[in-house]
Amino acid sequence: MSSSDLTTAEETVEPATTDRLDAVMRRGLEWLEAAVDRVNPIMVKETRQALKSRQFVLTFFLVLIACWITSFAVVAIVGPEVYYVAEGPTMLSFYFGILAFPLMLIVPYTAFRSLAVEQEDNTYELLSISALSTRQIITGKLGSAVVQMLVYLSAVSPCIAFTFLLRGVDTLTVALLLFYFMLTSLGLSMMALLAGTAARARYAQVILSVVLVLIFAYFLAGAIASSTMFILESYRFIRDPWFWIVNLAFLTAYATTFALVHSAAAAHIAFNSENRSSPMRWTMLVQQACFLGWVTVMLMAEGLRIFGDAAMFTLTVSAAYWYAMGAVLTSEWPYLSRRVQRSLPKSTLGEVFLTWLNPGPGTGYMFCIANFSFVAILAWALMFAMATSSGTTTSFFTEQFYVVVCWSYLVIFLGAGKLLIGLARRFIYVSLTAGVLLHVLLMLTAIGLPQILDYLAHPQQFRVEYSLLHISNPFWTLSLLANQSPSGFGATNPITLATLLIATALVVVLLNIRATWGEIQHQRQALPTRVAEEEAELHPTPESKPQSPWES
Amino acid sequence: MIKPRHPLIELRRLHRYFGTTRAVQDMSFEVYSGEVFGYIGPNGAGKTTSMRILATLDEPTAGDAFVDGFSVIDDPDRVRRRLGFMPDYFGTYQNVNVREYLDFFARAYGLRGHERKQAIGSVMEFTMLDKLAKKPIDGLSKGMKQRLCLGRTMIHDPAVLILDEPAAGLDPRARIELREMISQLATMGKAVLISSHILTELAEICDKVAIIETGRLLAVGTVDEISETSETSSHVRLRLLGNEQPMVDWFAKRNDISNVSVNVGLITLTHEGGQEAQALLLREVIEAGFQVVEFASKQKSLEDVFLHVTEGKIQ
Repeated sequence: MSSSDLTTAEETVEPATTDRLDAVMRRGLEWLEAAVDRVNPIMVKETRQALKSRQFVLTFFLVLIACWITSFAVVAIVGPEVYYVAEGPTMLSFYFGILAFPLMLIVPYTAFRSLAVEQEDNTYELLSISALSTRQIITGKLGSAVVQMLVYLSAVSPCIAFTFLLRGVDTLTVALLLFYFMLTSLGLSMMALLAGTAARARYAQVILSVVLVLIFAYFLAGAIASSTMFILESYRFIRDPWFWIVNLAFLTAYATTFALVHSAAAAHIAFNSENRSSPMRWTMLVQQACFLGWVTVMLMAEGLRIFGDAAMFTLTVSAAYWYAMGAVLTSEWPYLSRRVQRSLPKSTLGEVFLTWLNPGPGTGYMFCIANFSFVAILAWALMFAMATSSGTTTSFFTEQFYVVVCWSYLVIFLGAGKLLIGLARRFIYVSLTAGVLLHVLLMLTAIGLPQILDYLAHPQQFRVEYSLLHISNPFWTLSLLANQSPSGFGATNPITLATLLIATALVVVLLNIRATWGEIQHQRQALPTRVAEEEAELHPTPESKPQSPWES
Repeated sequence: MIKPRHPLIELRRLHRYFGTTRAVQDMSFEVYSGEVFGYIGPNGAGKTTSMRILATLDEPTAGDAFVDGFSVIDDPDRVRRRLGFMPDYFGTYQNVNVREYLDFFARAYGLRGHERKQAIGSVMEFTMLDKLAKKPIDGLSKGMKQRLCLGRTMIHDPAVLILDEPAAGLDPRARIELREMISQLATMGKAVLISSHILTELAEICDKVAIIETGRLLAVGTVDEISETSETSSHVRLRLLGNEQPMVDWFAKRNDISNVSVNVGLITLTHEGGQEAQALLLREVIEAGFQVVEFASKQKSLEDVFLHVTEGKIQ
């Protein structure tokens, strides 16, 4: 083949290759652009802002400089021994200490401020009337926090890599620590965002920012201490299978709590007519299912001997959980917006089971009671199983008391709080926060009032002794039952006590059923004509295709 | 013009109370496509409150408001897609330039790819901000910020625009330019609800106005319609050839004429009756033998109408 032939061949091949390369590049760029298009707009905007912000750049360089100084200082102190002594863990502790500062303090506080600044600069209203949903707003702010975390991490990562050269550090420890640091920072940012949605007034923002800084500082100290401890002791932990089981359980709790807080934050800034309660109730159901799931795992692993303790533990945790959730749900506004009424369940089966997920204090009360009753039945079943297998009925008798009394207290306190809020709403406007505070006030009164009365009755010989007067103190009563010390009740007969509590609980339930009746009477409403028209335009029903050749 | 099936803006017996303060009371009106609707009232009259309800930033105590047929209470998300709200504050971000600001809101309204770029381009061209694309917002003048806010309001091409005091604090040139932009928007078929204290400007661009005071709607319609319904008398001026005194005496005998005065040959008077009665008066003056060289009825300005309709009450 002559040289001229070769040149011609190269000329013909070269443009084709370039064209193909161009096309690939173009397609790649188009794909990248389309991908960026799908990224949350708030995340895009805040990343742009952060990269231009003096505070962000300053913090980044401070972290970077701190890492360098630490590296040089440690190497200088250790001296020539650095070549054979395993100094990796020491260095890693320092680097994680440095990383903890932006991750535990700066990033969550920036998340809180990002919402506060939106309100100060009057941009929040503009954001809220855009097409972004409240969930997207919260997710965008979180996304921006994640980007900042990654940037700070990028400043420390070369130093963390350097610790491998110094020996004594394994990748699993580093990966676990990084993962938990990120997770903690994300959780704190989520908490900060929830606080940000609650603090609209200037004074509330100032108070909350002080409280949050204290919480973040506590987490910062905790992160530094626990990371140092984990780096030194990780070899012991990671070999224990229970360590991984506990981690998994923790991650489940983290994920469900995160989802709950996310829903709460989104609900806080949502328009009044929107259904702000049902997503939270679904998350609560999932959270309870996960909790019961992990209890089951524990029971399967440990066997029958822990059934009694597991039942008491499950019941107590559930009671605390449903009281906290119930305080929020029973403080909801008692009217269903027309918008919510459009999405009410259609079928009878749906009405029976899904009505309790609709917004409203009455349905909220029933939802909490139903869930706790389910847990109480499970707990009782566990106790029964243990009693029948072991043949001991003494502890079973007290444990049954515990179940009944615990259930009664929850029913009474949530129900009474709900009735109190309903009564107050006849005269004044009671917000959700005020409703929760009323619940807390009721509980404090129930605990404190008997003590005060006791003191007033016997000022000279005041003694801390249980009597029927203290029946309103759930903590005292339940702790006596949990410790299985009937003598602690003094002259009070536990059976009288339980009977009184059950009777009160039934009365409270009956009173609340009357108030709840109105809430469950709502029927699904048809879509307004204009909405139905638009829905038909946006989602036209596909034309039915002929099923056989004979159909035209 | 053929009216569409439904108005683009509709207030239906709207009420909004803040404690004992009745910010909006029983307000109802409609705005159709292509109309510029002026919203006039003293401070605290309830203009901003009702505009905020329309923009889904607040909820009415009673009644409802509709944008393109969708309730602001029940379907705020659908309303938001159709509505652009320009409040009486800027609402700008730090460390963001003009293009980035518009890009953010375009993304927030769900515009993607080419559609977004096109929207940003056309808005920057319309508001004449294309040369300032890279300029940080903090460095913009008030007029430019106002343009940017108008641009943000129309980035998603809404059918309805609600502009709260858009001309406040602008210099005369900026005001004229803003006025032209609003007129252009109306010709594009958008319904524009605009509030302003500068009544002369509203009079020039508004097809209809609503006058409100202490939360109540006092009058709705064109300036002429309101002036006709609100006041039956009109100011007339005449100039004659020769002595004015016989005419003044002639007017003094009539019941429908009052406040006659003469100033350097120009007679001014107040005449009870509309335009037809004025035509009749002119014919009678001529038939009475007076040589009229000038006869004019003073057109009422929006300011006259506003002062006449409102009572200067505040709450």
